Amino acid sequence: MERLKAISKYVVIGIVAMLIIIAAVAIFLMQAPPAGPTKVELTGNFEKDVVEVGKALEANGISEVTYSVWAAGDPNSVMRVLGIVEATNRINKIWSDNNINVKIRIDTRFEREFMPLFEEYLSKQPTGQASDFLANSYIYISTLAEEGYILDITDYVSKYSELVNDFYPTIFESVKWKDRIYALPQDTEARPLYFRKDVAACAGLDLTSLADKVKNGEFTWSGIYNWAKQAKEAGCADWGVIHRKGSAHPDLIQFIYAFGGKLYNPDTGKLVIDKEAIYKWLYVEWKMARDGLIPENMMEWDWGKQIHPTVTGGKTLVFIGGTWHWTEYQTRSYYTDPTTGEPRALTAEEVKEFFYYTLFPAGESGKDPVTLSQPFVWTINSRAGEKNPNYDTLKELYHELAFLILVKASDPDINAIHSIISAHLPVRKAAAQLIADENWVNKLKNLEVDLSDEVKDQIRDIVAATVNPINTEFLANVSYMLDYTHIAPIHPLYPKLADIFKDAVDMVLRNQKDPAAAVQYIIDTVNADPDLAAEVEIIGEIPSEWSYP
Amino acid sequence: MKYKLKDFLRNKKYEYLIFILPALILIIIFYILPVALSVYISFTPLKNWNLDKYLGTIVGFRNYERFFHMLQYDPIIRNVFLTTIAFIGITLVINVLGGLLLALATYFVSQKFSSVFRTLWLLPRMAPIAVYSLVWYYFFHGSDIGTLNSFLMYLGLIKKPISWGYDIIPWGPWSIIIFVNGLVGVSFGMIIFTSAISNIPKELVIAARVDGASNWQISTKIFIPLMKWHILYVTTWQLLSLLTTYAHIFLLVQWGLVSKQYGTTWSLYIYQVAFTGRTDQGLAAAAGVILVIVGGILGYITLRILGFERMITKPRGDI
Amino acid sequence: MSLRDVEVRARKTEAIIALAIILATSPIIIGFSLIILSSFSKSMVTNFDPSSFHLTLENWINLLQGKSAAVGGLKENILKYTLNTAVVALGVSLVVTLVGTMSGYAISRMNFRYRKHFLLLILLLHAFPGSVLIVGVYFIYRLMSPIAMGSITTFSFFYVIIARASLEIPMAVWLMKGFFDLIPWEVEWAALIDGASRLTVWRKVMLPLVKPGIAAILLFGFLAGWQDLIYVRTFLAEKTLATFIEYNLGTLEFAEMPLVAAAATLYLLPTIIFFITSQQLLLKVSLAGLKR
Repeated sequence: MERLKAISKYVVIGIVAMLIIIAAVAIFLMQAPPAGPTKVELTGNFEKDVVEVGKALEANGISEVTYSVWAAGDPNSVMRVLGIVEATNRINKIWSDNNINVKIRIDTRFEREFMPLFEEYLSKQPTGQASDFLANSYIYISTLAEEGYILDITDYVSKYSELVNDFYPTIFESVKWKDRIYALPQDTEARPLYFRKDVAACAGLDLTSLADKVKNGEFTWSGIYNWAKQAKEAGCADWGVIHRKGSAHPDLIQFIYAFGGKLYNPDTGKLVIDKEAIYKWLYVEWKMARDGLIPENMMEWDWGKQIHPTVTGGKTLVFIGGTWHWTEYQTRSYYTDPTTGEPRALTAEEVKEFFYYTLFPAGESGKDPVTLSQPFVWTINSRAGEKNPNYDTLKELYHELAFLILVKASDPDINAIHSIISAHLPVRKAAAQLIADENWVNKLKNLEVDLSDEVKDQIRDIVAATVNPINTEFLANVSYMLDYTHIAPIHPLYPKLADIFKDAVDMVLRNQKDPAAAVQYIIDTVNADPDLAAEVEIIGEIPSEWSYP
Repeated sequence: MKYKLKDFLRNKKYEYLIFILPALILIIIFYILPVALSVYISFTPLKNWNLDKYLGTIVGFRNYERFFHMLQYDPIIRNVFLTTIAFIGITLVINVLGGLLLALATYFVSQKFSSVFRTLWLLPRMAPIAVYSLVWYYFFHGSDIGTLNSFLMYLGLIKKPISWGYDIIPWGPWSIIIFVNGLVGVSFGMIIFTSAISNIPKELVIAARVDGASNWQISTKIFIPLMKWHILYVTTWQLLSLLTTYAHIFLLVQWGLVSKQYGTTWSLYIYQVAFTGRTDQGLAAAAGVILVIVGGILGYITLRILGFERMITKPRGDI
Repeated sequence: MSLRDVEVRARKTEAIIALAIILATSPIIIGFSLIILSSFSKSMVTNFDPSSFHLTLENWINLLQGKSAAVGGLKENILKYTLNTAVVALGVSLVVTLVGTMSGYAISRMNFRYRKHFLLLILLLHAFPGSVLIVGVYFIYRLMSPIAMGSITTFSFFYVIIARASLEIPMAVWLMKGFFDLIPWEVEWAALIDGASRLTVWRKVMLPLVKPGIAAILLFGFLAGWQDLIYVRTFLAEKTLATFIEYNLGTLEFAEMPLVAAAATLYLLPTIIFFITSQQLLLKVSLAGLKR
C-alpha cells in the first residue's frame, strides 16, 4: 500500500512537470518571430490592398482572424453591425477567389442605447474587453481620441482620397479631431418637424407650401405657437407640440441654432452659453407649457406608451422628431387601430397620409431654419485584433485589415440599404444615387441584391416592412435638409453641458423656474464645477424687451 | 522540505490559519486593497479609466477641493447629500419598526400563515435586482400606466396621474427610493426579531396571558424589553447597510423613474461619477474615501454601543 | 412556534392582525404578479384595466428565439445568457460555501490568538461601501488581466465569481458559525483524541453534521450570484439575464416591454422555486443561524 502511494505520488509529479513543459513550449511557439511581412503599403486600390494583406497574414501562418463589433440604435439600424459583417464576407470572398486561405470572423453585439454602450467601452477598452469596431455617435470621438482608445487612421485614409471625396463634406468633418481622422462616417439623419395633416385640416390650417415658408424663414416658432393654440382650441388635438424626453441633446438643441445662438467657439475650442438664445428657447417651452400646448411632464413621458402613441394617434399637431421615425412607425405597434382596438404598426401609405414635414423653423423672424444631424461613425479600437495570434508582431497588419474592413463597409449599397431600412440619410453621394434608383430599390425589396445570405436572413423582416417607394421618396425629399444642418459641438464636456440643459428644460416646463431663473441655474451649475467652468464661455444677455409669440 | 511543511501544519497553534486563509485572501484582495487603491486614486486625476495616462500623476487634494466646492455650489450635489440623509434616516426607522412589527404580528397568528408571509417578505431581498427594479418601475410610473396611479384614479382619489418620481419634489422620489429599499431592509429585522422572540421562554407569555394581558401588553412589556440588544443590533447594522447600499436604486435612476438628484444617494453618486456621465474616477474616489471615513466612524461607534464582547461569544459558549 | 399553540383568547384579534399583515404585504404580491402576468400579454398589464391584458405566448416564443424586438434587432442567445447567469451563480455558491464552512468552523470551534481581530474585521466589512470598492476592484482586475490574455472571457467569469462571493463573506461566516455552534463538543473531542488533525475532523466529522447549514449556504450563495447586476455589468465579458434586462429597458423608446417582462419572469424562476421548496430550510436557518 505504501509502495503504491509512493509510486502514484511520483506519477502525479511527473505528469504535472510534463504539462508545465508543454505549456512553456506552446507559449514559446506562440511568440514565434514573423515568417512573413508585418505590414503592407496601402495603395488605394482596394482589391490589391486587401489581397496583399491576406497574403501577408497567410505567410505568417494565420488562417482565421476574429474581430468584434459593438453598435447601438433602434432595432432597424442593425446594419451598423451587419455592415461590418457584410464587409468581411465580401473580403473573405475576394480572398477565396485569390486562393488565399484566410477567413475573417465577426462577433456582434447590438444594443439600444448608445451612451451606456460608450461608457462601457470606456471602462472595457483598457482591459482588452472592448470591441474592435464601435459604431457610435461622433461626439465621443474627442474623448476616445484624447485617451488613445481609438486608432488614428489619417495615414490610411490619405491613400483612399476617392472614397473621401464621395462623402458629404459636412459629414466628413465630424470624423476629425485636432485635424486628424479617427473614423469613417456611417450614417446621419435630419430632424424634421412633423405636422399631422388631419389635425391641421380639422383646425383649418393650410399646409400648402409650408415647407417652403419654413425654408425661407417666413414661418417661425411664433407661427407654431399660433397654429398649436388654434388646433388645441378647436379641439382637434390634445397637444400642440410634442418632443423628446429625457435629454436636451440632440433635438432640443436646435432651438439654440434656430435663434441664431452659438454653442461652440472654434477659435478657443470652448463651449459657449449664449444667454439670449437659450433664454428664448426656454421661454418658448415655458410659454407653451403654461398654455397647455406642451405637457408639463414632457421630459418624463414614456416613448413607447405615450410619445409615439400620441403622435401616431393624431393627438398632437406637431412632433419634433427624426427622419427615422418615418420607418419606425411602420415597424412598431404604437398605433391603436380605430376599428379593432388592437395596437399595430402603420402602413407606409398611412404614414404618408398622416404626416407633413418641414425643417425646424427659425426661432423668430430674421433668423434661419435649421436641422440637426448627429452622424454615427465607425471607429477602430487602438488595440484592434488583439485577440488574434501573434498580435505583438502583426499589430500593423491587423490594424490595416480593420481599416480595410471599414472601407468595404462604406460600400454604397451597404450604406444605401441601411439608409432605406432605418430611415437615416446616406453619408456618400454614390449611396444617394442608389436610393434614387427605382430599379435598384425594387430589387432590394425582393432581396435580389448582392448580399451574403447570413445578412439577408437577419434583415429579411425589416426589409419587408420598410422598403417601398413611399419611404425612398421620403428620404429623397428630406435630403435638402442636409444643406441647413448643424452638428452639435465636438467637445469632451459637451454631454455634461447638455445634461444641464435638460434639467433646465424640465424645470421650466413644470414651472419650477421661470426662463430667466432657469438660465441662471444653468450658469450656476456650470460654475459649480471648476473644470466645466474653465471650458465654457458665457456670452450675451437676457433680452429685456422680448415677447413671444 | 515536505517534512517541515507537514510539521507546520500539524502544529496546533497554526491549524486555524488553513481555515481562515480563503476568507483572508478574499478580504485582502477585494476589500483592503481596493480601499487602499481608491485612496491612492483620489489623489490622481484619473478619468475615462485611462490608468496608463493619469495614474502616475499626483494632484494632491484637488479632487477633494473640487468635491467640497461642488458640495457648496452645485445644487445637484447638495440635493444628493440631502437625499442621502433623508433616505438613511427614514428607511432606518421603517426597517427597524417594520421588522419589529412583522415579527410581533406573525407571532400572534397561526404558524403556517406567518411562515408563508415571512417568506414573501424575503422576496424583495432575494429577487434579482433587475426584476425587482422592473416591478417598481411600473408600479410608480408617472403616467396613467403606472399601477399606483391607475389604482388611485380608479378609487377616484386623484384626477390626473401623478409623476411620483419628478413632480413632488423632494418627497416623491424620496418616497420611492425609501419604499423600494425599505421592503428589502425589513426582512433583516424580521428574521432577527423572530428568532429572538422564539428564544423567549413560553412560560412567561402563558403566564401573562392567563393574567389577561393583551397582545399589545405582551409585546411592549415582555418582548421588547427582552429584545433591547437585538433592536440595537438591527438598528446599527441597518444604519451601516443604508449608508453603503446602492444596487436597488441604481436601475430606478438609470431608467429615469426618479429624478436623478433626488433619487441618488451618496453611495450611488460615487458609482455614477465613476462609471457614467463624467467617468471621473478621481473625483469618485475622493467622494468615496469620505464616505468610507464616515462609515468607519459609524462602524466604530456601533461596536462601542453594542459592546463588541457581547457580539462575540467564546467558542462553544452559551448566549 | 407561535402563541396559537396555547392561545386562550378570541380569534377575532388574530384575524385583524392577519388582515393587517396581508395588507402590508400586498404591494409585493401585486407588483411581482403584474410582471409575471404581463409576460403573457400583448401589452403590459400595469393597472387594473382588464382590457390591457391580451393573452399571448408570443413574448415567450420571441424571447426563447432570442429576439429582442418584434421586427429588427439582432438575435441574442437567451439560453446562453441564462447559462452565464447560472455559471456565475454556481461559482459564487461554491466559493461562498467553501469560505463559510472553513471560517465559520474556525471561529466557532477554535480559540486562536487572532480570533477576535478576525471577527472584528468581518464585522467591519459591512461598513465598506460597495461603490467605493468597485473602483479599486476594477484596478485590480486591470492589473491581473494580462495573465489572462488568451482567455479574457473565462478570466472575467472567474473574477466576477470571486469578487461577488467576497461580498457574501460576512453572511457566510455568521451563518455557518451559527450552525457549528449547535454541535456538541463531545463529538469533536472524540475524534481529536484519536489523533486526527483538525482538517480531518472538519471534513469527516463536522461537515456531515451541519448538512442543513451547508444546504442553506449553497442556496443563499447561489441566489446572491444569480441576482448580481453591478459586478456582472462592470466586469463580465458576456451578458447575463440581468444585463439583458437592463440594456433592453434602457431606452424605453424601443423596449419591447412584455418581452422584457418575460425575461424578468424567466430570471425570477429560481428564486420562486427556492421559495416554494425551502420553507423548512428557512425555518432552520432563522432559528439556528442567528444565535450570536
